[in-house]
Amino acid sequence: MKFRIKKYKYVILACAFAFTSCDDYLDINDNPNNPTEAPLAGLMVNSTYETSQNTFRMGDITTNYVQYLASPNEASASDVMEPVSYSGTWGSLYNVMTDINDLILKAQDEEANHYEGIGQILMAYNLALTVDAWGDVPYTEGFNFVTVTPSYDDDSQLYSEIISLLDSGMANLSMETSASVGGDDFIYNGDADKWMKFAYMLKARYLNHYSETGNYDPNAVLSALENGFDGNEDDAQMEYFVESINPWADVAIDNANLFLGGWISEQFIESLDGTLYGVEDPRLPLMVGATDDGEYIGTVNGAGRGDAPEQGARSVLEEGDFYTTRQGPVLIATYAEQKFIEAEAAFGIDKARSYQAYLDGIRAHMTKVGVESTEIDAYISNPEVSMGVDSFTIDDIFKEKWVALFLNPEAWVDARRYDYGYEDFDLPENLNPDLGGMFIRRLAYPDSEVSRNGNNVPDVTLLDPVFWDE
Amino acid sequence: MKLKSMIMVFLTIFQFASLVAQEDSVSGLVTSSADGEPVFGVNVLVKGTNRGTTTDFEGNYQIDVNQGEILIFSSIGFETQEITYSGQSTLNVTLVEDLESLDEVVVTSFGIEQEKKSLGYAVQEIGSEEITKTKQQNLVSALQGQAAGVQVTNSGGAPGMSARIIIRGVNSLDPGADNQPLFVIDGVPIDNSTIESNGTPRGLSNRAADINPNDIESLNILKGAAATALYGVRASNGAVIITTKKGKAGKVRINFNTSLGFDEINQFPDFQETYGQGFSGEYNPDSFWPNWGPSMEEINQIDPDVRFYDIWDDAMRTGVQIDNNISISGGNEKATFYGSLGRLDQEGIIPFSDWGRTSAKLSGEVVFSEKFRFSGNVNYTVTGGNRVPHDRFMERLVYWSPNHDVEDYINEDGTMRTYGNTNPIYDARFSTFEDEVNRTVGNLRFTYSPFEWLDLTYLVGTDYYSDKRTEITPGPLGIDGENPLSSTGFITETRINSRDINSNFFITLKNDWTEKLNTTLRLGNDVFERDYERVDATGVEFVIPEFYDLSYASQISNSQDKRKRRLVGLYGDLMVNYDETLFLNVTARNDWTSTLPIGNNSFFYPSVNLGYVFTESFEQPDWFTFGKIRGSWAEVGKDTDPYLIGQTYASPSVYPLGGEVGFTRFSQFGDLELRPEKTTAIEFGTDLRFFENRLGLDVTWYKSNSKDQIIPVPVSETAGFSTFVTNAGEIENQGWEFIISGTPVRSENFRWDVSLNAAYNQNEVKSIREGIEEIVVGTQFGYGGSSVTIKLLEGEPYGNIFGTSYARQGADPNSIYLNESLPIIIREDGFPDRNGSQLVLGNTTPKWIGGLKNDFSFKGFDLSFLIDFRSGVEQYNQYDNFFSAFGIAEYTLNRNETIVFDGFLEDGSPNTQPVWLGQGEGPDGRNYGAGFYRNIYRTVSENFVQDASFIKLRNITLGYNFQGNILDVLPFESARMSVAANNIILYTPWDGFDPESFSSGAGGNATGLTGLGYPGVRSFFFTLNLGL
Repeated sequence: MKFRIKKYKYVILACAFAFTSCDDYLDINDNPNNPTEAPLAGLMVNSTYETSQNTFRMGDITTNYVQYLASPNEASASDVMEPVSYSGTWGSLYNVMTDINDLILKAQDEEANHYEGIGQILMAYNLALTVDAWGDVPYTEGFNFVTVTPSYDDDSQLYSEIISLLDSGMANLSMETSASVGGDDFIYNGDADKWMKFAYMLKARYLNHYSETGNYDPNAVLSALENGFDGNEDDAQMEYFVESINPWADVAIDNANLFLGGWISEQFIESLDGTLYGVEDPRLPLMVGATDDGEYIGTVNGAGRGDAPEQGARSVLEEGDFYTTRQGPVLIATYAEQKFIEAEAAFGIDKARSYQAYLDGIRAHMTKVGVESTEIDAYISNPEVSMGVDSFTIDDIFKEKWVALFLNPEAWVDARRYDYGYEDFDLPENLNPDLGGMFIRRLAYPDSEVSRNGNNVPDVTLLDPVFWDE
Repeated sequence: MKLKSMIMVFLTIFQFASLVAQEDSVSGLVTSSADGEPVFGVNVLVKGTNRGTTTDFEGNYQIDVNQGEILIFSSIGFETQEITYSGQSTLNVTLVEDLESLDEVVVTSFGIEQEKKSLGYAVQEIGSEEITKTKQQNLVSALQGQAAGVQVTNSGGAPGMSARIIIRGVNSLDPGADNQPLFVIDGVPIDNSTIESNGTPRGLSNRAADINPNDIESLNILKGAAATALYGVRASNGAVIITTKKGKAGKVRINFNTSLGFDEINQFPDFQETYGQGFSGEYNPDSFWPNWGPSMEEINQIDPDVRFYDIWDDAMRTGVQIDNNISISGGNEKATFYGSLGRLDQEGIIPFSDWGRTSAKLSGEVVFSEKFRFSGNVNYTVTGGNRVPHDRFMERLVYWSPNHDVEDYINEDGTMRTYGNTNPIYDARFSTFEDEVNRTVGNLRFTYSPFEWLDLTYLVGTDYYSDKRTEITPGPLGIDGENPLSSTGFITETRINSRDINSNFFITLKNDWTEKLNTTLRLGNDVFERDYERVDATGVEFVIPEFYDLSYASQISNSQDKRKRRLVGLYGDLMVNYDETLFLNVTARNDWTSTLPIGNNSFFYPSVNLGYVFTESFEQPDWFTFGKIRGSWAEVGKDTDPYLIGQTYASPSVYPLGGEVGFTRFSQFGDLELRPEKTTAIEFGTDLRFFENRLGLDVTWYKSNSKDQIIPVPVSETAGFSTFVTNAGEIENQGWEFIISGTPVRSENFRWDVSLNAAYNQNEVKSIREGIEEIVVGTQFGYGGSSVTIKLLEGEPYGNIFGTSYARQGADPNSIYLNESLPIIIREDGFPDRNGSQLVLGNTTPKWIGGLKNDFSFKGFDLSFLIDFRSGVEQYNQYDNFFSAFGIAEYTLNRNETIVFDGFLEDGSPNTQPVWLGQGEGPDGRNYGAGFYRNIYRTVSENFVQDASFIKLRNITLGYNFQGNILDVLPFESARMSVAANNIILYTPWDGFDPESFSSGAGGNATGLTGLGYPGVRSFFFTLNLGL
């Protein structure tokens, strides 16, 4: 047993050595690569950049539904309105809302009121993008990891939150700030006045979404517009970079490299080439490409390209047009859109104002995409466009607004509010049979949510509308 | 047992009594039968006495012995000989080498040698010759088919490309986990990670490929948790214990060997050679489409000069490898040394791919006194080469029209020559990726033995490497009308530095309590640190074409990654040996890690194993030579990677933009209460030998459960993170391992040894985490929505491949498995209906793996071959998906046929409608659009998830050792010539290049996704070994 004692001695010695030094020796697990705090400016950079990206992403999802674009492949899932899992875009929306959440909390801590205000406006915008597509979504239990399975908030309540976020944003922007926003803001370069106008414009947009509900108050829309954009120079947009090009330009370049995409719908071509409305729209060649033969030929939604070759025989997005310039902007909200909102809200109150706003909206968008003023005048003076106040209908507003919202996700909100009532707007071929001959009303919840938060995901079909779409 | 010992006692007394007082002195020389060299250190014992000696350094011995007494000559690695002394004064003895000696010694933890029969767990040793014979330059590949339950997969056929080793199945639910064993050289762990390239796969090396296989003396594979309990967390997937060559006392030996090898593709897919460039059957020499044009006959009517090139052969070349090694070793009783130099140059079958290794090794041992020994070992290697973008090369070859000569790739002004599509050879030449790894692995071992019962050992080692990588893709050369590879061009400089330090101090206490009972107790402390840093700098758009320097690029972006991990362990290991019959081994270990939260970072785990040699206790029939049963139970803890705890922010790689850096909350959150993982393993086995070891059978059953897995659980992104690193889930592996070995023929001139190993593994994901339904391990692109995903689901095995399939009549809507036996549903248009929902189409983990080894020797000749196989495994054949989409596959030859698809319409009636398979307007006047293969076939993943079983002839070697009379006239002590062939596919149902290929590299787990990998090769070698 002499042995035993010896052994223990060593064990005790070794342990003593180990314990005294261990804790310090092992306390090296602070991440040297990622900081635990992010600067406000860094969060602003990412929040504005990703807001623009999300506008593209959501636009990319909805362009087939509103028949700006059509898939070159027959019966492509998004084109025929099948349930598609948009886990990526869902994740991007929540990622940026998480960052904006952190931006707001940090700005509150530091009394950086302008950061907080802009954060609230960006939050309202991204949340509305999410609600308009999916309806009920997580918000109150979101972002701060209070639970791994956040519950879903009612979509109409989220709309109240969106409006109140915009109101808080305006209030914060009108206060003093401990830190001013600058080049870290990719949308307005720190111009608080423009953010204020943008907030009012968005408020008008979202109040106008109530058009089909009992809570619609067109006067509230018009009063918000009073403080909105004053011209195209106020447009909320982000211009792209040499290092990171405009995502629609990317689609066009990919298509040229035979990663097919960005094919123009026959509906869009026929709406602008005179087939449907009897007037040729000078914007067409500035927005989309022609075939090798110089013609504008669209693709029928859901039908695919048939025996058309991959290149040269159909209109597609081509690099260098207004929406597809490498460093060109993605439009988030425009003066043109605001004018059409005004036209819609004023229609039942002051039809003359409505008509004028409609004409101003067309002019604003034409100017935006670079139509010559003589051509603008020619188009606007065409009786098919200037039909006069008496013949002027709500259909005219929706048609021109649809053109002006090219590639923007807001177009799908309109299409649903308008019940896809555009001229000759047919269901896609090979329509998802589950829709029973109806148009899609919402997106399916993404697989990532179903697999990770399945118990909370509402049970809905693609025909169940968002609350404002009754 | 009692009876046996009593007989022994009687015999001893009898011998002692009958032979007294006639003591002579005998001396002699002990040599080895293999090479006639003297053998140092042979035990010479007079049977039944304690009189003994050992042979000296020249192989001589002298001992006092009585006539009639029996002399026993024994030494490790030789068959023991007994000779009855008959009065001569000189007795020379030749010992026969014994490869399957019962007293086989294996090296386990920390370089400790243990008798194999004393172990309570399975261990398999592979000798130096068995490694070098395979001619595999990657040590991991050399293990293919050699050991039961060890699955080795080459990631492709590029020089220096990584190989993956998995022992007894995957033990982690974490798709990013490295499930490979720990590599240990001379008692000190080394790094075997594979750091793949960013962007397109380049086929980089696993770091064990830095080791020159010629320097290895032996290799042991420790499979179970019990075997690895002493290495702690880092060996939770098993351990590969490598012992390098050491000098032997005796005269200085110089060995030189040179080898020349040639590589070629071992299997091609079946290609069609009838249809040329164009689409819809229309010829167009500028078309993007390589093979949807008309037949060559029709093309030649349009243009008689158009040829159909065999671009798949033209684009490749014969690979060449040249390997030269020289070693020098020697020493005396006080000091020994071994030194070696090696240089390998390899050129791959894809043009411009190459890899090389220069290695230098020096090791030595000094015995200062009976009590103090010191040994050291240093190994310096430089490895690296040019890694071609093989996936992209092969993809571009898919797009390349066979009507154009692919080898005619460059214009005189240096721009690419092409009809439109990018030439793969031009890309391979100019889109370079060069790496150079400078690595030093060294260790020192001090042993102090103040008393016979006490050893103090200190072992310290370092593994340091720098990995320098330069990737360049040129931009435009500024020449009118050129087709540049990139509109901007870029250069990425990567610098990786990694340093491991291992320190290990242990004391060994030995005691013989009684004649029959002895114990060994080992107590130790073990410290590990890894310090890793990586810096990447990328410059885009070169100001001066072809001047590739970061300083002359228009935009620069950088990133940096630093990691440090520390582990401290305390361990104890008690071995009890009762009468060489019963062996008990108990271990206990506590680890402290830096990667878990303080408070949760200490974890204890024990193991116990028992071996019982029952043939020692019971009289067995003569033919039953040896029998042992063994069992073990063990726990192993496991920590995680550094910096996983808590919340951080990151700057996405898109920044800086316009001079601004954006921040986003990092998508991963690490549980603040993270705990260590725990694997519990049990194992039972038996080792039986018959007919004087000429037949052996070893059977093992094991089961291991890994619980509390630290995994990045995917959580709802709405919560603020997309992954939550926490303890969740359990995975179970159980299986059988069989080894049958034998020596069917053993005569003076001819010997035949054969050994078969086979292993069956069954794997199940027992649980994930409440609310989480699946974990995605990997996904790979397929055209038209046929992309496949490997997912883990509760209750399912690891590695299920999900994808689209043909719709089946009567399919169970609740089953996640595709039932291929059901009839296919045919649509109203006469074509098969596609089921777009994701079903299980196969599984990427082989059910059975194994190998068959045969060695024949006849006089100076020897012939050996090693066959290995795997079965019950499916993979996604991405090549085939592309080949169908582009009309390259042989089966697309029926494109102009009209057929009736087998199957039933929705209403249950059999399909009778004939349809045309071609593109455009068919003979029936109907418009078939892009045709069956593009519209349907390529969009159904089921078509491309294929049986990837194989039987391969890994190696066959025919050698000749020059014999005495020839050697006498040559200036060499020994000379050997051999020819060998490697990696020949004997059987596989797989249509395509070698099924042994995967995109992710050895560090990844998505092994069933072949990608457009570097095609596998077969090789032929000529080797000459000379000894001085």
